[in-house]
Amino acid sequence: MASVDQVIRPRPLPALATTYEGEDLALLERIVPLIDTIEISPDAIAQSAGKQACLRPEILEEYASVLPHVNFIAHGVGLSIGSFDHWNEGYIGLLDELFERLNLEWHSEHLACTQVADENVGTMLPLPRTEEALDLICARVGALQKRYGVPFLLEHVIRLLPDMPGEFTPAGFLNAITSRTGCGLILDAYNLECDAYNQGLNISAFLDELNLAPVRELHLAGGVQRRGFHLDIHSNPTRDSTLDLGLDIIRRTPNLDVVTYEFLKEAVVLLGHDGICNELVRIRQAIQQ
Amino acid sequence: MTQLERQQRGLLDLIKNRGVPPEDPYLRQVANSRELEMVREIAIWWRAFQIEDQCRFTSRLLKRCECFEDVVVTYFNNHRTSPFIEELSQDFLNSLVDDPDWLIRAVSQFELALLKVRAGSAECFEVLWDRYPENVILALEESSRLPPPESGCVYRMRIGRDLPRTVVCTREYTDDPA
Repeated sequence: MASVDQVIRPRPLPALATTYEGEDLALLERIVPLIDTIEISPDAIAQSAGKQACLRPEILEEYASVLPHVNFIAHGVGLSIGSFDHWNEGYIGLLDELFERLNLEWHSEHLACTQVADENVGTMLPLPRTEEALDLICARVGALQKRYGVPFLLEHVIRLLPDMPGEFTPAGFLNAITSRTGCGLILDAYNLECDAYNQGLNISAFLDELNLAPVRELHLAGGVQRRGFHLDIHSNPTRDSTLDLGLDIIRRTPNLDVVTYEFLKEAVVLLGHDGICNELVRIRQAIQQ
Repeated sequence: MTQLERQQRGLLDLIKNRGVPPEDPYLRQVANSRELEMVREIAIWWRAFQIEDQCRFTSRLLKRCECFEDVVVTYFNNHRTSPFIEELSQDFLNSLVDDPDWLIRAVSQFELALLKVRAGSAECFEVLWDRYPENVILALEESSRLPPPESGCVYRMRIGRDLPRTVVCTREYTDDPA
């Protein structure tokens, strides 16, 4: 838990980031004046090129065109850092290429498994909170830190399937990873709400137990409800409850640098450019209060 | 096999709806859960979304035939689906190469050829149709009635980047229509 000194010490406001996955220059032009940082998902801007994937050069050009105005962070989907056998080497190739082209402040990945024995699962599987999984994750985090030399952050994913037997609490597992590796964390306010609704997670107890010092980034998003589940399909504006939880996290985290509003590229048509911009303005105003 | 490997392989089999019922107590719990159905639905929804976006004509035809969802589910369960949309769409279309329905076969292979040519393939592809292809594509585009098969002829379509306007189609008369 943060000390009193940490809570009252004045600190800079976190930067505002959002997702941009290319091919919508009108959107890019509108969001750039509203944000400080763009979150790039290497998987989302990749194309298959024979046996290996590469980043789409036209989208890299779009990022380069706004270089003086924004910073960049990378947020992966397909590294599959928790696969029992090996991570996805193809994703590492994409990340290498992105680091060559852009100056990334940090990169991050979901604490999950997206492929099993080289087969795409089609979703993100959370990991069991066991010593075995902890050893595997920590070794791979160490390898990533050594390879790129910039901070690496992990994000918890929502748990839809029944919880696996484990040796750690949800917060305890994250604490063990951060204390052993020194890596950072992303907290996703909407994911926490999903877990509270779907799995009965006690968010307050989770935050009380979690070491909040490694939290560098906060994710905000709005998802969907289906058949009695809250799902992390980021296609809506942030609900008031999510924003309130996010603001509570901002107040409690001493080292938070970035707040990111996330939405799927596929949802742009639903949200509209106006809707996305309004959301960025709304979040910025909330952060500044 | 480690516990992690056993769990991950087991979950993959459950999501892909394959393999024998698990003995592991946790996997048995998952197998009987409503949460598993939701995870499957999400995984298949994403694949269907991507396929609809990339394989426009084939998706529309499969929907006309009221089998789009079933075909996507079968494809997802039985194939190593690629996370890359170009590979996923080509592999999906390729999986329809032996479809018993002549029209589904023709439309999917035509669309596959187009995707490959657009991606830079120098190969020339050939697709046989049992009715005039342009009318089929137009009907799918405009959601109008599909033309019936024509007897006594087939349409031989070639698709290649070196062909004039990429596609050439000729009608051939046969004694034994398809």
